[in-house]
Amino acid sequence: MSGMITVEEAEEVVALPPEQPSLPPGEWIRKNLFSSIGNGVLTVLFALLLVFAFRGLVNFAFENPERDWDAVRANLRLYMTFAYPLDQYVRVWVSLGIVLSLSGLSAGLWSPDGYVSARRISTWFLGGGAVLLAAALAVQGQLQRDENGEFLIDEDLELIRGSWASGLGSRISWFALAAILIGAGAAIWFGLGDRRRNTFVRTVNLTYAGFGVIVGSLWVVRYGHYNGSPAEGTHYADPDSLVAMSTRLPWTVMWVLLGVSYFVGKAVRGWPLLKPLALTFWGLLPFFVFWVVLRDPDIDWAHVWTTDLPMYLAFAVIGGAVLFTLTNPSLGEIGRALAFVLLLVAVFTFVGGFFGWFSMLQKARLSFVFLAAFALVANNFAGEFAKRRTFVIGWLLTLGVMHYFVTLINSASTLNIRSDSFLGGFMFTIFAAVFGLMFSFPLGVLLALARTSSLPIFRLLATTFIEVVRGIPFITVLFFFSIMLPLFLPEGMEVAEHGAVIVGLVLFSSAYLAENVRGGLQSVRRGQYEAADATGLTTAQRTGLIVLPQALRVSIPPLVGQTISSYKETSLFAIVGIFDFLRIANNVVPNQSSPINFVGHKREGLLFVSLIYWIGSYAMSKYSQKLEKKLGVGSR
Amino acid sequence: MRNRKLLQLLAAILAFGLVAGACGDSDSSDEGSAETTAAESTDTTVELNQDGGSILDTVISRGTLNCGVSGAAVAFSETQPDGSQKGFDADYCRVVAAAVLGDAEAINFVALTAAERFTAVQTGDVDVLIRNTTWTQSRDSEIGMDFGPTTYYDGQQMMGRESDGFSAGSDIDDLDGLTICMNAGTTTEKNIADAADAAGISITLGGPFEEYDAVVQAFLDGTCDVITTDGSGLVGRKAVQEPAGENWIIFPATPISKEPLGPTYAQNDSKWADAVNWAVYATIIADENGLTSANADAMVADPPSAEIGRLLGGEGERQTAMGLPADAFFQAIKQVGNYDEIYTRNLGPVGLVRDGSANAGWLDGGLIYAPPAR
Repeated sequence: MSGMITVEEAEEVVALPPEQPSLPPGEWIRKNLFSSIGNGVLTVLFALLLVFAFRGLVNFAFENPERDWDAVRANLRLYMTFAYPLDQYVRVWVSLGIVLSLSGLSAGLWSPDGYVSARRISTWFLGGGAVLLAAALAVQGQLQRDENGEFLIDEDLELIRGSWASGLGSRISWFALAAILIGAGAAIWFGLGDRRRNTFVRTVNLTYAGFGVIVGSLWVVRYGHYNGSPAEGTHYADPDSLVAMSTRLPWTVMWVLLGVSYFVGKAVRGWPLLKPLALTFWGLLPFFVFWVVLRDPDIDWAHVWTTDLPMYLAFAVIGGAVLFTLTNPSLGEIGRALAFVLLLVAVFTFVGGFFGWFSMLQKARLSFVFLAAFALVANNFAGEFAKRRTFVIGWLLTLGVMHYFVTLINSASTLNIRSDSFLGGFMFTIFAAVFGLMFSFPLGVLLALARTSSLPIFRLLATTFIEVVRGIPFITVLFFFSIMLPLFLPEGMEVAEHGAVIVGLVLFSSAYLAENVRGGLQSVRRGQYEAADATGLTTAQRTGLIVLPQALRVSIPPLVGQTISSYKETSLFAIVGIFDFLRIANNVVPNQSSPINFVGHKREGLLFVSLIYWIGSYAMSKYSQKLEKKLGVGSR
Repeated sequence: MRNRKLLQLLAAILAFGLVAGACGDSDSSDEGSAETTAAESTDTTVELNQDGGSILDTVISRGTLNCGVSGAAVAFSETQPDGSQKGFDADYCRVVAAAVLGDAEAINFVALTAAERFTAVQTGDVDVLIRNTTWTQSRDSEIGMDFGPTTYYDGQQMMGRESDGFSAGSDIDDLDGLTICMNAGTTTEKNIADAADAAGISITLGGPFEEYDAVVQAFLDGTCDVITTDGSGLVGRKAVQEPAGENWIIFPATPISKEPLGPTYAQNDSKWADAVNWAVYATIIADENGLTSANADAMVADPPSAEIGRLLGGEGERQTAMGLPADAFFQAIKQVGNYDEIYTRNLGPVGLVRDGSANAGWLDGGLIYAPPAR
């Protein structure tokens, strides 16, 4: 039967996992939990420990006079985007919309064929419902208050609590949600009967439905309400109003956008070139969202016409001519020498600029670096005219994109910002993690290659860099970049602190990534190199086509581990005074005495922040497991 | 033949480099910088200031004031749920902005940690630092700061429970044998140890605590008998964290240290210093003369005294000579308020009472005093 239905046609696909004999519950418990007296004792002991820890956690987080979850609810916007101006907030939504549209489009284009069995979905519902039910049952009695709302205390100054039942009374919504979850789980379990094992739902659809349920809940559940301005006094959760008034509509739009773009992606998946285009857009996306959408640069067109455009044309024409010459197959070793001269010029422009020997537009310096990079790989593109033309067009496009972004970076922002940066909170954490990864990954691979290079000077430089950076704690690197660096920079040169710490993050994590990649490089057998050489590949081709793909495949687990730790290390930015996610929870909210007094309410925020970090890390970890399985790491 | 081609190419590249180099340096942003503004001629060195480039001119040409605050100090600078700044220090930033630029909201608040605050001034990241920073000899001389008039006289005090026998009359001698908690590694710790030595008592230092929140938590738990920090911090916490049934007592009446807090800026820039100082003095003179944000319009039309007339930009005003608009202080008072208004608005809600404290006006026995505006 399964052979008749293609994957695209069916939501329900009958796959063929071997039917495992399932033990009756009593048998299972006896076999797994109480197989011997010792094991039985251990099971009971740890189950008790679990129960008490769970009860402690629930009562720590809720039904505790020191907890005030409004501290998180009222400050959700602060947590997410810090001081991003309210009148320009639509930019944040547009950014999110772009990201989600591209996600949907990519999901449609690639159509990942992951499936989840109905049995597993059912156990998720049942498990979630059970945890919620247990939490609802574990709460202590409600604290008693007098008519003024003050907590009642006994003669020992201990707070007076009501009966256990009084705690349950306030948790009606928890019981209701638990009942819904358990009901849904049971319906799937028993409704499908034996078919639950081989009934499957696409992961994509399931994710979309889950997102939809969360978005839908914004219309009914009071998560927290942020609306209006301080002047109007409408900041806070209005207990009788629908919550998330300001976000439920945008989120619904986001949800629809995601779905629509998925179907668009599915419809056009046969078209040529779309996948590489989508990948290019993903690469440019962080820059585009950051500088164009969120920052809204005020471009000085007079400067563009008089300086920027002529400079682009000059580099495009002369650089293009140089590269076209360099790809001449008859140039030989002289081409390489020329490329190194260009590299020296590029380095010299930076060194000279740093010491103030001469002044030069940053864009010119960067253009030299790009030109040198292109020149260095030019001999790989040597050949007939069409090949050389493609290479030069690639140069023109890359240079154009680079000049475009540098122009944007140098343009003043039109945002009405009332703090030192428009970025903060979770938005900054995300950008720091993304930029950190985007730059540190290539740098790490280059460092690893340099460290295993046969040229001693590369080996020496890479080894020194890696060992020095790995010998320094990350917080020291951050202090250097945020506090010391401005003092070392020459007059007139300044680096925004947010940028400086991201540079620190890139350098730090690239050193660790380099070591992970080097491990992978060492696992590539000698024979692979020899075979590549025998085929007549150049060093660059051998590295790019034969060695690196195998090395990176092997290094996936440590690379993802490093990515997760970089993501979490962004929280150290809080110590050098950047208003990232953690600092808002740790310093900002606990110091708000007005309009609502949250002084000292630190733990709610820390729990919230931990949860968000955990979700991000767990998602990355799950994704890497999938990637490993797909690439067959460990099984080949 | 080939070599000649190469030489030509090299010559072309070098010529190109020179042309590009001659384009000048109008934008020197760093590649990785998240958001970089076009480089300003920030006046960080003495030489520059002597050439006549004052921060005042920079601020006016920029159109916004970069003001360094804490962003996480109860009642002094709190970051609000919408990201704005509220508090005593934040309002003094607004006073300076209103005076210099005519708009109390033309401010870019830069939230700084204690570690970065002086570097931020030295590198020109902030024009003025109003971040509960104590005026000390070393900071004034060695670190390259100049200090403006003190806006808040703070001092280290202690807080204990009434049930432990403390009263308003308690003194350092009553701490004998008790556990006292404070932030680790601060002058607070040194002050209390010195005071205990001088009184000849033995105390136990609790902790160490990295953060003041943890100190207060330990006091709430009963781990610490007494906590100590600047008086403003104690009063703020008492107002908002005192549990029902307890009575927290702050003592001794005379603090054991002097912590004058006020605006700070880079040294040797008299023009800027004058602008900041007199913006602060204007709020104090206004308080002395009953000039408030509510009656500023009426007083500018019909000044009660020649001094108020001059201060508000009337005949004989001195503001223009300072490089400020004639109505600078009128705008500051009108848009933000006088000293008492700023104090009451921000520090009142957390229980910091002005009457009878060092922060009362000099006519009421306090230390808040401004030179005459003439």
